[in-house]
Amino acid sequence: MRFRDGVFLSILAVASSPVFGQTDDSGRALPVVTVRGAVPERFLAGQKSQRIDSVSLEQFRFQTLTELLSATTPIAFKVYGPGQLSTASFRGTSANHTALLWNGININQPTLGQTDFSTLPVAGFDQLSVQYGASSSCLGSDAVGGSVLLSDTPDWKQPGLTVTAAQQFGSFQNRNSQIGLRFSSRQSNRWQVAGKTFFYTYRFPNRYPYRERGHYFVEQSNTDQKGFIQDFYFRNDKNHRISLNLWFTDNDLIVSPFDTVVRERTRSQSRRALATYEFKRLTIRAGWIRDVIDFARGNFNRPSHSETDRYIGRAEHEFSRNGGKWELTVRSGVEFSHYQTRVDGYHDSPIGEDRADLFLLSRLQTDRWRFSLNVRQAFVSRFDPPPAPSVGAEYLLLRQNRHSLTGKISLGRSYRVPTLNERYWKDLGNPNLRPENGFNAEAGLSGESSLGDRLKISGELTGFRNRIDDWSYWNPEFGYRVENLQLVVARGIEWSANLQYVHQKWKAGITPGYAYTRSSQERVYNTYAQDIVGKQLAFVPLHSARISVYAALGSTRLTVWHQAVSRRYTTFDNIQYLKGYQLTNLILETQLTTGIMKTRIQGQVNNLFDTLYLNVKRNAMPGRNFAVNLIIHLNTRKS
Amino acid sequence: MNSTKTWKLALALLAVVNWSCNDNDDTGSPSAQPYRSGVIIRNEGNFSQNNGSLSFLNRDAKTATYDIFSQANQRTLTGGVHGYTEVDGKGLILVDNSTAGQDKVEIVDGNTFQSLATLKSPDIENPRYAIRVGANKAYVSCWDVSGDFNNGTFYKDPGYIAVIDLGTNTVTKKIQVPKGPETMVMAGTEIFVGSAGGVKNVTVIDAATDQVKPPIEIGNNPNLIGLDANGKLWISSGREVIRVNPQTKAIENRLKVGTSTTKSPGTFRLSPDLQTVYFVYSFYDAADNFRQKGETYRFSINDTSIPAATPFINRLFSGLGVDPQTGILYAGFTPSLAQAGYVYRYQSNGTLIDSVKAEIGPSGFYFK
Repeated sequence: MRFRDGVFLSILAVASSPVFGQTDDSGRALPVVTVRGAVPERFLAGQKSQRIDSVSLEQFRFQTLTELLSATTPIAFKVYGPGQLSTASFRGTSANHTALLWNGININQPTLGQTDFSTLPVAGFDQLSVQYGASSSCLGSDAVGGSVLLSDTPDWKQPGLTVTAAQQFGSFQNRNSQIGLRFSSRQSNRWQVAGKTFFYTYRFPNRYPYRERGHYFVEQSNTDQKGFIQDFYFRNDKNHRISLNLWFTDNDLIVSPFDTVVRERTRSQSRRALATYEFKRLTIRAGWIRDVIDFARGNFNRPSHSETDRYIGRAEHEFSRNGGKWELTVRSGVEFSHYQTRVDGYHDSPIGEDRADLFLLSRLQTDRWRFSLNVRQAFVSRFDPPPAPSVGAEYLLLRQNRHSLTGKISLGRSYRVPTLNERYWKDLGNPNLRPENGFNAEAGLSGESSLGDRLKISGELTGFRNRIDDWSYWNPEFGYRVENLQLVVARGIEWSANLQYVHQKWKAGITPGYAYTRSSQERVYNTYAQDIVGKQLAFVPLHSARISVYAALGSTRLTVWHQAVSRRYTTFDNIQYLKGYQLTNLILETQLTTGIMKTRIQGQVNNLFDTLYLNVKRNAMPGRNFAVNLIIHLNTRKS
Repeated sequence: MNSTKTWKLALALLAVVNWSCNDNDDTGSPSAQPYRSGVIIRNEGNFSQNNGSLSFLNRDAKTATYDIFSQANQRTLTGGVHGYTEVDGKGLILVDNSTAGQDKVEIVDGNTFQSLATLKSPDIENPRYAIRVGANKAYVSCWDVSGDFNNGTFYKDPGYIAVIDLGTNTVTKKIQVPKGPETMVMAGTEIFVGSAGGVKNVTVIDAATDQVKPPIEIGNNPNLIGLDANGKLWISSGREVIRVNPQTKAIENRLKVGTSTTKSPGTFRLSPDLQTVYFVYSFYDAADNFRQKGETYRFSINDTSIPAATPFINRLFSGLGVDPQTGILYAGFTPSLAQAGYVYRYQSNGTLIDSVKAEIGPSGFYFK
């Protein structure tokens, strides 16, 4: 490949362009093919979904998914400390009810059935979208409260090479380094290749200058994070496409590092590899994921070890018919996966398990209507989850030059296959556990309006009700043995809006959002359960709101991120709670271009008002802190 | 016009109510010293959540006041609450955080619960039990930092007794004692210290000089129960209770508790007349997922055997206390550590009086 001089692609310009290279291929030599594998939203008509824009991804590139999703979505995180365990509660559900997909594959830890979002840096993927509500019909197990979708995409449209080096200098001696390159060959008539190599290493020694804030301890911990990403893409004029994606992560957390007797180390390592072959309307995928967790206290040489390998094979076929005024798309697929797990805490080890899924997704689009009808049946060794159908519709209620309004409605069943720990853990696990099953209903309105040439406004209002039965529960009354005890009903309202103003070199925007989430346990299964029936689920705030405001002149931009969370109960009977809090972060950035080098400088203030707020362990989170980020791109691309 | 009048009236009423409320806040009135007399419930909390607390219950009340430390200080205790005792008007709250180096002893005004001082690491590590040993002087038994349970190095050897001067609210000395120091009882000028760390001896300390004296060999993990009506020291160890003469240090009697090979006795409490010992007799049922099961029994200090055959109360409790003023038995019940527990009150004949909702894991009581 030849390096060429070129004008750098403005990051902000990329942000405002729709999506990297998935559309607008028409007129070029290679055939128009949409990337189908990782876009399940297409079949979830009537449900809320949200794409996180690339400006936000760039602003949070030194932070984790927890921080980004807290600032941009109503997902409530249960955080144990900075750089420590962080689990998601989506629409009033538990940490097990959010499916996390990486390029279409669920990467929740199979032993825990959840993801520690603190181990996933925003720099680890290209695109992020959030699917609200149950979507098991499309996404399988765990997609009960909602789903988080990470994906990588090639830069087909921007041939050339970009080398990126980025460094963060933060308070508390925290440092992040990233280095990588992206490339895409020129679009010849025959074939094209593209790819990405990326390495990051984060060191958070967290040397706070204080031990306490407002009489609450600030826990001492340090976290080291390393990651490696390798993506490779190939396509040719015969409609063959091949992609390879690798993502290795290594997260090393030590709590109380200075005390060699009581220090606790949690090391989580994951290796994820995925190969995809697409030909015309057929997609075949093969994947391997290894998740390793080592936990040790005091002596780190003898950790308690947990290791799971997953081998995944999936074949999908899509059929499409265009009848002029309507277009029907039907996608059918089959997935097999084999699990092999060795966990020190299990009775038997290793344990093998096979799972299979059959699914049929369909979508009908007309001028004003969009329908979807999907069904999935999963099969798991020793028991079978219920079938998961879903149906949804969207109707364009209003369509004018400058205004549009869409009504949405959807119904769907969801399920969650019990985790390996829930079934196989010594004594406390329960091999007879049933899969949980949920029923999600939601309806909403979304609209867009242009008020003149400079001002655009959009908004969405959604109401939902999600009923989850056989909710499995590590019963604290029963030595924390896991049982299908509870029935949880979550209902709520979500509102979000966006106002954008553009005038010459000026840009400004406001993005507010609010969520009301009422989630409660409804079954009386013994005498004392009466005290928890109807009570708000622990760590689910009733109200959460966020707003981001920015103003930009050219490539200089000031953004303020603000979030407010109401009190979070810490016990099932709501007798105790952590106080609500508001958190404000600020980021000022600018960009300098010299020749082929583009330098982006960001200054960041986190917790601007030095708010005292507590994590799950009742330790204070850090006060006001700062970071300076330097991102350098060397680019041979023409934009 | 009408609505304006209504508003004015409402405002006037509000002012009066407000003013009368303020009027109550004179020093010396009950609202200024809300915790002068009554029962302090020690809620141990769920260890990993660091949410232990103290509730306050008036003897004639049907509901408790929750988290009184937080109410007085606008911050919560940040750990499990392992002990509470008062020394000359000051309260010592023993707080055990799930993270090492974050344990503490909060010293509060016993009437208002306002924090006076906080003793922290390295003075205080894993505080277990507090006792008044003299004027403005307290001992707090501490395990010190704990190690790896699976490697058999959980209890640091030695542990220590923190000597607290409540005049200056400081730890003035650490007395080294065998590992896992736990319960303490004072007899004369001597403090007898039990252990949870696999030690067979009861440590004896001279409270005047803080010097360790020759120990008494009792049996594994000796637990100090108290002094009976005859001034004799009662100690439990495994499935036995042992009566010791605190002056001569001689073991006078050794009684087996019950005949069960699975159940163990614990949570011993003396009645106000120091004639009766209440205890919980329980086991973890392996056939029922290690659920804790058991009942509450009692014996007289003059009994020659303890059959533990007929329960005094056919229930398992997470804490017991006997009100020295009324003889009423307070019994904590913990449905789980994820929701509030209850305090059941019984007459001294075992008749249930009532139950009051407490907080997470009601495990102990302080009567004042």
